[in-house]
Amino acid sequence: MKQVGEISGQDLREMFAAATNWLEKSSADIDALNVFPVPDGDTGTNMLLTMRSTVEEAFRAPDHSASAVAKAMAKGALMGARGNSGVILSQILRGLAHGLEGKEKINAADLAEALEESSAQAYRGISNPTEGTILTVIKDVAHAAREKVAENGSDLVALLETAVAAANESVANTPKLLKVLREAGVVDAGGQGLFTILEGALHYLTGEEEQMRFRKPKIIISDLPATKLPAMIADDEIPYGYCTEFLLKGEDIDTDKIRKKMEKKGESLIVVGDESAVRIHIHTLDPGEVLSFASGLGTMHQVSVRNMDEQHQGFLEMQKERAPAIDTAIIAVVSGDGLADVFTSLGVSAIIPGGQTMNPSTKDLLQASEAAASDKIIILPNNKNIIPTAGQVQELTKKTIHVIPAETIPQGIAALLAFDYEANFDTNTQLMDKALENVRTIEITRAVRATQIGRLKIQKKQAIGFLDGDLVAVGDSPAEVLNRTLRKVNLNKAEVITIYCGADTQRTEADELAREIKENHSHLQMEVVRGGQPHYNFIVSIE
Amino acid sequence: MVVRIVTDSLSDITPELAKELGIDTVPVYVRFGKEVYKDRIEISTDEFYRRLVHDVAFPTTTQPSPGDFLEVYKRLAKEANEILVVTLSSKLSGTYQSALQAKGLMEGEKCRIEVIDSQKVVMGLGLIVTSAVRAAKAGANLDQLVDLVRKAIPRSHSAMFFDTLKYLAKGGRIGKAQGLLGSLLAVKPILTVKDGEISPLTRVRSRTAGLDYLYKFVAGFPKIEELAVEHATTPDEAEQFAKRLGALYPTDRIIRATVSPVIGTYVGPHVLSVSVLEAAA
Repeated sequence: MKQVGEISGQDLREMFAAATNWLEKSSADIDALNVFPVPDGDTGTNMLLTMRSTVEEAFRAPDHSASAVAKAMAKGALMGARGNSGVILSQILRGLAHGLEGKEKINAADLAEALEESSAQAYRGISNPTEGTILTVIKDVAHAAREKVAENGSDLVALLETAVAAANESVANTPKLLKVLREAGVVDAGGQGLFTILEGALHYLTGEEEQMRFRKPKIIISDLPATKLPAMIADDEIPYGYCTEFLLKGEDIDTDKIRKKMEKKGESLIVVGDESAVRIHIHTLDPGEVLSFASGLGTMHQVSVRNMDEQHQGFLEMQKERAPAIDTAIIAVVSGDGLADVFTSLGVSAIIPGGQTMNPSTKDLLQASEAAASDKIIILPNNKNIIPTAGQVQELTKKTIHVIPAETIPQGIAALLAFDYEANFDTNTQLMDKALENVRTIEITRAVRATQIGRLKIQKKQAIGFLDGDLVAVGDSPAEVLNRTLRKVNLNKAEVITIYCGADTQRTEADELAREIKENHSHLQMEVVRGGQPHYNFIVSIE
Repeated sequence: MVVRIVTDSLSDITPELAKELGIDTVPVYVRFGKEVYKDRIEISTDEFYRRLVHDVAFPTTTQPSPGDFLEVYKRLAKEANEILVVTLSSKLSGTYQSALQAKGLMEGEKCRIEVIDSQKVVMGLGLIVTSAVRAAKAGANLDQLVDLVRKAIPRSHSAMFFDTLKYLAKGGRIGKAQGLLGSLLAVKPILTVKDGEISPLTRVRSRTAGLDYLYKFVAGFPKIEELAVEHATTPDEAEQFAKRLGALYPTDRIIRATVSPVIGTYVGPHVLSVSVLEAAA
């Protein structure tokens, strides 16, 4: 096993040059991961450009001491930083330079200490640090490095190996910390970039440069499956506005003051630098205001204003290409977060919010169909009133659309489960259509007005029970009505009963009902699931 | 010319059946903690499932070593001129690699050896092996057997009804069935082996629906050469199901088998599987 005790400033420069080449190989893959803070798909490219500027400047260092090279690198990173992750990377390098101040050569203890500075500096530069990003990764790396040095700290190779392993673990963990990553089923792009840089540095140190030419960096995989398609994520956060970045040069610049002033002008604010040069990055709806404020403080360089909504569209296109080629996409109309999760977990490609009293438009369904990564679409309307709307989609698109006439949520789920992965489109639509017959649906809700249907007299706000769409029971409590409705079904032939509780219903109430049913029908498999649906206290499927 | 046939224990051909057929099955290993057992030989199916459900340690499996194969090759080479080896899918286990490496160690010996990756597992592999045995008994030589096995591979189909994906996921063999994980409803998956990997077929909510699917799966093949029904811990249900399949294929000719402990590591208890060898066109 190769061991390295200390490295010079030249080594440091070469190490980062190798890391930059390594990063270049996977920058496109890293772009495709990008969902936080804005899914614009340029994290890999931004980090690469930042690293290039870092290495270029490293060659301009006045001497070959580690201290001078690190300082030049930090300057290069600050000058060339692009995007959120690029700016944070520049802070990491700035911390590194600070930690290596005055050092001729670097040993393992020096590097571990410098990494701690990097971590601290990275957090300082951000107005509201978010965990589950590159910040968490540098923090975990610094922590692991410190422990390694404390344990047996003289070998730089061993130290970097520990750092790479810590980065790997930390990156893999990012989806657990950050919801947008979890929903998209990806790891944090910036964290992945940092991991790749560290890995590249390690390869240089172990003398594997030759092999690096023929290999590709690994992209860490999120071990949690995606729960939502990327297209769904941004719905409640539009518009993004403009990503505005520039370098401000002047004298006696007060970064704290700038940060305070800018905070109210947008999102994802980063202000980093010193009295003579500051890099500013902000997502704002009014870039003009930001620029005119800054122009009063000094001269502006490398000004960049990009429309992020356009970038986001580009990102969605890229995601579409990256998504696995599925032969058939299934779109479901569902309301209630619990039910949406159930449908998603069973493999639908997109959820359109809607149901009773909130029917989606044909346009909503058409857009989802057009956005799906397949030319063959199956729509589950899950409501009688939505079936005709869904039926119109076919006339408006070149894609092949089949609408399963599912009138209820349980029918939609039964159809979804019948999907056969090895069957072709026509066979699947037949299987799914047929599956509707195998399930019965009970829905319990409250009457919105007094009425009489057949022999049933109903007061306003009384609980009423529907069996396969027909009103069959009325009473004061939803539980009582559910029991009465269940009596109309021959449960001896049933095997599985699933109760989906509504948004305003206590789960304990459903659990109690399930227990009672099981007591009287011991052969039944009972399941209670939080549906979170509006209007309906209970939706019950009987299979 | 004498040709002998070798497979591994994941063909679900029991030692008894192997003896009857005159073939060798090289056992894969199953391990609980530090205890290592030869599949079916040193640990019975019943004992295995008792421990799978009750032991804290989760079992792992290990492919046979090249040495295990070499031993068998050397013994057979004393009486045979040719050996055909058919292993389970190389995407599920390193058994194929071990068999190949052992072949390399036999270089210079007079006995000719051919190793084939069946891309199947359980009776999907077992039925291919038994059809090769029949051909060998009818006088086929090694080259003819290799040709026969290669042509039988695309005609062999399995569908496995799982009670849970827990064990498959823990064992890291989930393959393309990954997408079936994480369901928020209690669903029972039905899987197949496609291109050597575990792949999803569909999901059902009840055992009755699962058995119905398996029945329709078998009914989907108009000409069946051989049919096998396998279970892990539910012999009565398997027997009843075999009777039901009688409408499609003579019940007395259906091969009954139990999945081996190594397979049990991944499928868990309550699995029911059917394998069909389609008749050649």
